[in-house]
Amino acid sequence: MVNKEVEKVIVVRNAKKVYRMGTEQIVAVNDVSFEILKGEFCCLLGTSGSGKSTLLNLMAGIEKLTSGQIIIKGKNIPKMNETNLAKFRQRYLGFVFQSYNLMNSMTALENVEFPLVFKRVRTKKRKKLAQDMLVQVGLGNRMGHKPKEMSGGQQQRVGIARAFVAKPEIVFADEPTGNLDTKTTMEVMNLIQAIARENNQTIVMVTHDPRLASYADRIIHVLDGEIEKVEVLHDITDPEVYQRRVEEARAAAPKLSELESSADPKKKKHGHKGKKKAVQEMKAGSEQSSDQKTQ
Amino acid sequence: MRISDLIKMGLRNLSRRKARTALTIIGMVIGTISIVVMISIGIGMNQTFKSQVMELGSLTTITVNRYADIMDEDGNYVDFREQKMDASLVEQISQIEHVRAVTPVIYKSMRMYSGKYEGYLSVYAMDCSTWEDFDFPGLSSGTYPTPENNKIIVFGEYAFDNFWKTTGRNYESTSLDPAVDKITMGFSPWEYTVSERKKEFRIKLDNNYARFEYTENYEYDYYAYMDIEYFEELWGKYCDTLTPADRKKAMKSLETYESIKINVDNIKNVSEVQDAIKALGYQTSSLMMYMEPMQETSNMLQMVLGAIGGVAMLVSAINIANTMIMSIYERTKEIGIMKVLGCLIKDIKKLFLFEAGMIGLMGGIIGIVLSYIASWAINKFGQPLFESLMSGMMGTGEESKFSQIPFWLPFLAAGFSILVGVISGYFPAKRATKISAIEAMKTEG
Repeated sequence: MVNKEVEKVIVVRNAKKVYRMGTEQIVAVNDVSFEILKGEFCCLLGTSGSGKSTLLNLMAGIEKLTSGQIIIKGKNIPKMNETNLAKFRQRYLGFVFQSYNLMNSMTALENVEFPLVFKRVRTKKRKKLAQDMLVQVGLGNRMGHKPKEMSGGQQQRVGIARAFVAKPEIVFADEPTGNLDTKTTMEVMNLIQAIARENNQTIVMVTHDPRLASYADRIIHVLDGEIEKVEVLHDITDPEVYQRRVEEARAAAPKLSELESSADPKKKKHGHKGKKKAVQEMKAGSEQSSDQKTQ
Repeated sequence: MRISDLIKMGLRNLSRRKARTALTIIGMVIGTISIVVMISIGIGMNQTFKSQVMELGSLTTITVNRYADIMDEDGNYVDFREQKMDASLVEQISQIEHVRAVTPVIYKSMRMYSGKYEGYLSVYAMDCSTWEDFDFPGLSSGTYPTPENNKIIVFGEYAFDNFWKTTGRNYESTSLDPAVDKITMGFSPWEYTVSERKKEFRIKLDNNYARFEYTENYEYDYYAYMDIEYFEELWGKYCDTLTPADRKKAMKSLETYESIKINVDNIKNVSEVQDAIKALGYQTSSLMMYMEPMQETSNMLQMVLGAIGGVAMLVSAINIANTMIMSIYERTKEIGIMKVLGCLIKDIKKLFLFEAGMIGLMGGIIGIVLSYIASWAINKFGQPLFESLMSGMMGTGEESKFSQIPFWLPFLAAGFSILVGVISGYFPAKRATKISAIEAMKTEG
C-alpha cells in the first residue's frame, strides 16, 4: 500500500524507554515500532500517561532511548552526541509546545528569530524571514509585543512561527492547543496544517483530543506505552489525495491573513468559559482538566 | 551562534537584571581597587626606598676601601684592617667580568684661601675618563676635564660654603663665589712640613674650574673632583716645596690609593662582581648592600598588601559565581528552550562565560578609574599616615609618592579582573550546559 516514492522520514523500531524510580522500573514506551512518511500529518493519540509525550521526546532526542532505534532522515537519533543533535535540530526539526515556551524577555519577532540565531543566519536575513513568518501567522502588527502582552492564541501562533521559520522538514507539536479554547484551537490547528501542507512538511502531533486527531493523515493510538492501533485517514502516497491536499492548502492560504482580525487579545485572555465548554464536550474531559492544572 | 549575537544576548541578559548586575560589579570594583591600590603602594614604597638610597650614590658602584671594617658575627664594628691598594689591584679588578669602569681614588684634604678668608675642602682625584661611567652629574658652569685637557677642577654646589675669617674670633661660615672672589688653593698644611726655603704651593682658580649642578647627593655637593693625572702633577709640584724628609713620605703616599671605585654594567651583577673582588681577598662595599634588606622588607610589605587586595578579590569572585548560579536557576527554562531550538552546548557555555567575564571587565575598568583617584588622594592626603608608618625604616622626602600606578598595572588589573570573572563563571556555565532540556521546560517561568 505504501508507495516507495514517498520517503520514510521517521522510522521507529522496537523503541523502549524505562524510567527508574528508586527500585521500581516504569516502562513508559514498550517495544514500539512505526513509520511516518514525508509530508504526513501524524497524530499520537492517547490518554495522559500513555507514553505519547515520552515517545515524542524520544524522537526529538530530548530523552535518551533505553533500547531500540529511532531513525530520522537516515540518522540514528539515540546514537548522536549533543553537538550533532543540536545541529540536527537546527536543520530538520521544529517544535511547538503546549505552554508555548517563548522567551519572555524577547519580543515576538525576536522569539521567531531565535532558532535562526543558532543557525548563524545573518541579522538582516533572519529578520526578514521572521517578519514574513509572523505575517503568515497573522501577527504582522504584533511583532514588537512581548509574550506577556499577548493572548494564549497569539502566543501559540508566535510559537508556530518559531517552529516553522527555519523551514524544518519535521515539526513536533506537543499538545499545541492544550491551553487554548475551542475556537482558538481550531485556528491554530488550521494554521499548522496549512503551513505544513504548503511546504510539504511532516507534522508529528501529540494530543489526547480525538477531535484534533481528525486533522491528521495518520493516527497512532498509544495506550500504556504500546501502540493500540494505527489509523490511516488519508493515504498521502495516493497521488489523488496528494493533489487534493495541495489544492486545499492553496485555498487555505488567503484565510491565514484573516486570522488577524479574529485575534482580539481581550476576548482571548478571558476565554475560560469557552475552554470549559470545550472540556465538557470532550470525551477525555478529566484528563483535560488535569493538564490545565499543570500549565 | 555568531559572536555578535552572543555578545548582544549576553549584554541583554546582564541589563535585564540591572540591580543584581550592578551589585556584582560593585563587588568587583572594590576587589580591583584594593588590589591596584595595594600594589601601587608597594611600588611607591619601593621607589621611595630606591630614590633615597640613590641619593647616597649610584647603585651600580662598588667601592674597595683602604681601611676595611672588621665586623663580628652580629655585624658590630670591632676593628679595621688595611688593604693593599695599588695599581696592580686596579688592573686585576678591571679584568673581572661585568666591570665597566674602574678607577683608583685619591682623597686629600685641601685648603682654600681668599683674602682674609680660609676654607677646607676635600678633593677626590679619579681617572677622568671613567667619570661618565660613574654617572657624574651635569655641570652648571664650565666643562668636564678630558684626558687631553685635564687641568680642570670640578666643585660641588656647597664646596665654597665653608669659609671663615681668619681674623675673626668666632667661627662663622661664609660662602664665596669663585666667579667673584679670587680664590687660591693649596694642600693641607698640617700633614707635611713645608721647606722654609721654598715658596708655598698654590694654584689659582681662574678659568680652570667647573661647578656641578645641585644633586642632593652629598658626594658631589660638598666635594671637589679632579683628574688623577692632574692631581699627581700638582702633588709632584707640592712635594718639591716640602722638606726632604717629608718629600719622600709624601711621594710614597700616592702609591696607595684611598679607595678603588668600580662601575658594574648592570645592577643585577653587582653582587657577582663583589664576590669576585672578595675572592681576591678584598672587602668591598656598595649601596646594594643597604638596598637588599630594604628590598626584602618592601617585598614582604608588597606581599602583605597584595594579600589584603587578594582577599577582597576572592570575595568578589565568589560574588560573581553566586550571581551566575542564581542566574542559571532563574533561566533554567530559557536554557532548555535554547537547547531544544538547536543551540550548541558550547554556545550556552560561552554565553555564561561572557556574562561573567563582562561583569569582571566592567568592575575592573571602573575599579581602575577609581584606583587612580584613590592613588591621587593617598599621595595628596596620606603624608602624615605614611610618614609615621615608614619612619622606622627611613626618612621620607617631601615629594615622595606613596602610591604609584605604573603604566602596566591598569592593563594587568583589567586582564586579571576578566580572568577572575571567567574563572568564577566557569563552573556555573558548566552547570548550565548540564541542564536537561525536558526538565527545564517543565519549569515554570
